[in-house]
Amino acid sequence: MTGEELVAHLADEVLLLDGGMGTLLMAMGLASGAASETWNLEHPERVVEAHRRFVAAGSEVVHTNTFGGSPVKLAAAGLEGRCREVNGAAVRLAREAAFGTGTLVAGDVGPTGVFLAPVGQATEELYERAFREQVGALAEAGVDLISIETMYDLREALAAVRAARAETSGLPILASMTFEARRRGYFTMMGDRIVPSLRALADAGADVVGFNCSVGSEVMVGMVREARDELELPLLAQPNAGQPRAGSRGLLYDATPERFAGDVARMVEAGARVVGGCCGTDPDFIRAIRGALDSAPASESAR
Amino acid sequence: MTEVPGEGRHELLAAMNQSILDGDDEAADRLAREALAARIEPLEAIDRGFTPGLREVGRLFEDGEYFLPELVTAAQAMQAAMAVLRPVLGEQASERTLGRVVIGTVPGDIHDIGKTLVGTLLAANGFEVSDEGVDVPIERFVERARELDADLVCASALLTTTMAMQRDLVNAVRSAGLRARVLVGGAPVNQAWAEEIGADGYAENAAAAVDLARRTVPP
Repeated sequence: MTGEELVAHLADEVLLLDGGMGTLLMAMGLASGAASETWNLEHPERVVEAHRRFVAAGSEVVHTNTFGGSPVKLAAAGLEGRCREVNGAAVRLAREAAFGTGTLVAGDVGPTGVFLAPVGQATEELYERAFREQVGALAEAGVDLISIETMYDLREALAAVRAARAETSGLPILASMTFEARRRGYFTMMGDRIVPSLRALADAGADVVGFNCSVGSEVMVGMVREARDELELPLLAQPNAGQPRAGSRGLLYDATPERFAGDVARMVEAGARVVGGCCGTDPDFIRAIRGALDSAPASESAR
Repeated sequence: MTEVPGEGRHELLAAMNQSILDGDDEAADRLAREALAARIEPLEAIDRGFTPGLREVGRLFEDGEYFLPELVTAAQAMQAAMAVLRPVLGEQASERTLGRVVIGTVPGDIHDIGKTLVGTLLAANGFEVSDEGVDVPIERFVERARELDADLVCASALLTTTMAMQRDLVNAVRSAGLRARVLVGGAPVNQAWAEEIGADGYAENAAAAVDLARRTVPP
């Protein structure tokens, strides 16, 4: 499937992604503080199991376990020089779980964790080199699309989109940034706003643009509405399961799958075409979204 | 060189304030030197020139007018001014310490920025800060707090996967019998979490952290 074909498909259908891979792996025993990418090598069977649970819940796309899979982030996690190996292994594990189900595999690309001046010493060239290496490894191993997520600096997000364009031949590219509600509106921590950011990402070659992480589903409904009013682009929304809080067995998130799925249905009504969950959303959340989407009337803004 | 009276002095202090708001470290450095040359007391330059600018930056950040880049450049400008003024402060400086702080990012977490920013702003506001860096072992926090007889231990966690370390830190500080209060922060952290793990306070951002530290350490 090409990016154009995905966009055409989204005119008629909502695409359901998966939930929070990192938090699910933690629930499956990933140690606090460990990089989840290490499990692609050390516990491949558990990564496959996590993907399978999302597929069984109704996910039409699963994200590879490579959110921290850029060479910069891997080096910081003690996996220096192993970008190709880690990303390749992750793609094979997602493929194994998706096999025979028709589920698509999205190569997940998260931020490098290093910053441009004045906050840090990174450069846009460094971003682009890092993302090209990661996307190259994901594409070589055979992903169906590229999903760039949780970006807080438009310049880093754009470097990732450019890298994805350069390293793949026409694969669909999803690009999503993380905004918070501030007094004057929605902003990333760098001060990027929704409409100009998403427009720039689309201009750089992203097929679907949107939001993920940082906020719960209730807040993200407002973000979708703001984007919808100004942009004629397919929108993506993956909120967190509310706010994390401490529980006796680790972190818990305060949203219920039912309430979350209700908000996701509202986002679809407002124009979101690709939906899923981020931190804290386990397969029960995906199942609840599936149920809400299947029982919802046709979207008011489906075109 | 003569003392700057009235109007000129007022303008110089206003320019100091502005240099912090602009995040202009070169201007801050130059103005700090001009202040010394004009025999303005270093303490006055800090309290009436630069620090009000930093407070205003904190307010603008909370209001969503300023973002991380502005906060960082303001902190850098403050550091530039302090680098000129601190050596001249001499004895005044040690009397001025609002409290001793040990700060770091929890084990398993290599996020630097939030923690560094809080440390910088605390230092700029008159706390004595020992920044232990990132991925700091719990024992290291405890050891340093004991050595320095710290008033505050501040721990940052930027990941939902490393937050739990803040609870371990609170427990370790308590069981070591230290008097230090423990403050926590970081993107996934909130007040409810701080209460659940028994921390002494939570701040949402670097500006709020300074207010929290002032409130937490008795004068």
